[in-house]
Amino acid sequence: MNHHPHPRPIGGPLLDRGMVTLLALFGIAEGVIIWRFVAGLGAVSNMNDGYAWGIWEPVNVVVFTGIGAGAYSVGLLCYLLNRGEYHPLVRPSVLVGAIAYSLGGASIMVALGRPWNMYWLAMPPMWNLSSVLLEVAICVMGYVCVLWIEMLPAALDRAATSRHPRWSAFGRRWGQRLARAMPYIIALAMLLPTMHQSSLGGLMIVAGPKLHPLWHTTLLPLLALVSCLAMGLGTVVVLTAMMKQSWNARHDHELLVDMCRVNGGLLVLFAGLRVADLMAAGKLDFLAVPDFYLIVFVLEMALFLLPAFVFLTGRVENSRARFVAALSAVTAGALWRVDAFLTCYNAGESFSYWPSWGEISFTVGMAAIGVAVFIAITRLLPVVVVHDTPVPASIAAFVLSAKPEEAAGRSGALTAH
Amino acid sequence: MALTISRRALFGVAVAATAAALPSRAEARPRVVAEPDAVGLLYDSTRCIGCGGCVAACKESNGVPWDGEPTELDCTTRNVVKTRNLRQPSAAGASTAFVKRQCMHCVDPSCVSACMLGALHKQGNSKRVPGEPKGTGIVVWDPDLCLGCRYCEIACAFSIPKFEWLAANPRIVKCELCRHRADPTHDGPLSVANPACAEVCPAEAVVFGRRADLLAEAWRRISAEPGRYEPRVYGESDGGGTQSLYLAAAGVSFQDLGLPDMPSESPASLSESVSHAPYLHGLTPIALYAGAAAIIRRNRRRAEDESAHHGEDSK
Repeated sequence: MNHHPHPRPIGGPLLDRGMVTLLALFGIAEGVIIWRFVAGLGAVSNMNDGYAWGIWEPVNVVVFTGIGAGAYSVGLLCYLLNRGEYHPLVRPSVLVGAIAYSLGGASIMVALGRPWNMYWLAMPPMWNLSSVLLEVAICVMGYVCVLWIEMLPAALDRAATSRHPRWSAFGRRWGQRLARAMPYIIALAMLLPTMHQSSLGGLMIVAGPKLHPLWHTTLLPLLALVSCLAMGLGTVVVLTAMMKQSWNARHDHELLVDMCRVNGGLLVLFAGLRVADLMAAGKLDFLAVPDFYLIVFVLEMALFLLPAFVFLTGRVENSRARFVAALSAVTAGALWRVDAFLTCYNAGESFSYWPSWGEISFTVGMAAIGVAVFIAITRLLPVVVVHDTPVPASIAAFVLSAKPEEAAGRSGALTAH
Repeated sequence: MALTISRRALFGVAVAATAAALPSRAEARPRVVAEPDAVGLLYDSTRCIGCGGCVAACKESNGVPWDGEPTELDCTTRNVVKTRNLRQPSAAGASTAFVKRQCMHCVDPSCVSACMLGALHKQGNSKRVPGEPKGTGIVVWDPDLCLGCRYCEIACAFSIPKFEWLAANPRIVKCELCRHRADPTHDGPLSVANPACAEVCPAEAVVFGRRADLLAEAWRRISAEPGRYEPRVYGESDGGGTQSLYLAAAGVSFQDLGLPDMPSESPASLSESVSHAPYLHGLTPIALYAGAAAIIRRNRRRAEDESAHHGEDSK
């Protein structure tokens, strides 16, 4: 694949103001973690016996891994459907995936009440194979390893370009060896998310009596799988736009349009499956009750269908509309996931829940360290394909002062070339 | 061009998704039935006088200090008696009713299905603790296998398992039918457990025994006084059946007592059928992996051949 432009380390300062902000947010989360292990989960969270997972499982695990599913969906397009032109998007997507899944796993370890018993997970004879959560746990742990192995070529490429002859030889030798093994690793990277993303949805099937009928369905696994693909593709579009803005990263208009059309299909598929399932299960009556759940349902469907409308019409050519639509596709999947795990889960009349500041700062801090790690790695290792004149600015700075008009203007200029 | 790709992509996704996630009812696991010597409780809401003696006895026998009458189950309360306001008054005109709540010891428990390592398990099924009595059906908790993930709390339709939120080394707390008070010198149910709540009840509102015997006793009470009882035993088949059984006064719905309305298929059975069926006993993952690896290798070889033939101008 030597006709593809090669990724390069972005370079630039590791510790700028954006980075310090991100690390400070993570520092607060660290404080929460320490206090949680001293005084118990109840001391930092509003979790209770009814809402035993609070926001950590629904957001830090279920939503973060959905965002990280870009590695899965872009991989499917690039490797299984043989769309080699997606190759420049693979490394950034895999890096987001590796970080997001690692954060999900780390969050679980903080949320576990008795993490010191985790060593039993290494002993397959002790596994309860009926447990959907066990399937998720084992599969996610394996996938985190696979994702970081998929990132190794970036590190080895960097080593190969080292001025130190020994490093350079090491990088080239192991880079070649890894390249030979890669198809088998990538196949694993396609299989594992298929399994655990559907199982993530399946987690809530057993909670049937406590989940609102509009969300409880035996299609939960399939819906979770489709939603992670849509979230993943949406994330990659958002990420690409942000990297172009911050680092003048390569921005292949045709490719993004193509990917968004696929995403449009996925979003329509999700909405269609959901409505067809409600019809088949005779649950349409619930849509006639004007209550909170109806508002949530309509909001979800709007967030799924509006981006689909943009993606499947000419509006997808407009980079600003595409950016907003992609963001909406990610939000749609995230909202559906939080709703199925928390908002539309009803533990009974004696329980209520609203996240505490401790819970929120942990979630925010974990997201912040994820962004920080992404920036640090892209600055040091060849992950992103950039144009020859990099614009030094951090993603954080972009987030703080986003100018969509400018983004639209620039991508217009790029289309022309 | 773009549309062809999206169709191809969708097709690929659809194939993968169908293989991975479509529930096949044909693969549904067999229904779990109560073991012949399973033990449980019969609670008769019409006989209960709400004295709370069972609540105090429960705390005492589990070594929990008394700190006032509890209103809900929590990590220091394995058993509680609640006064429920009825939406529909009973046939006798009562607007409230008592209900005792503790673990239902389901025939096919959601918590046991959900538990990653079998920390919550039917007594006798532990892979770690040998020699537990078999066939009692008591749902017990093993601290050494519990990761504290609290999926049991999410899964339990009755919201029974409780977690010690303010402990650095938290436990899952729930009724285990006072198995620690079992007396091996006895025959029958008392040889495996002896719930303090049933022992102290002055009104025979709480009875401990073999589930089969309790079910017979419940139906005997209903047929002896048909005007007194709602003609149904909650837990006989609700949620796949439970080993704690409930009788309500005539005209009182079990939902008004706070017991959920559940089909006779257990949530565990539904969940496991949907989650396991697509795996075809492990065949699906292997086939998907092999297929993916073969396609990826072929694609890469083709790309290499192409660039070898056309060089740099292939794009």
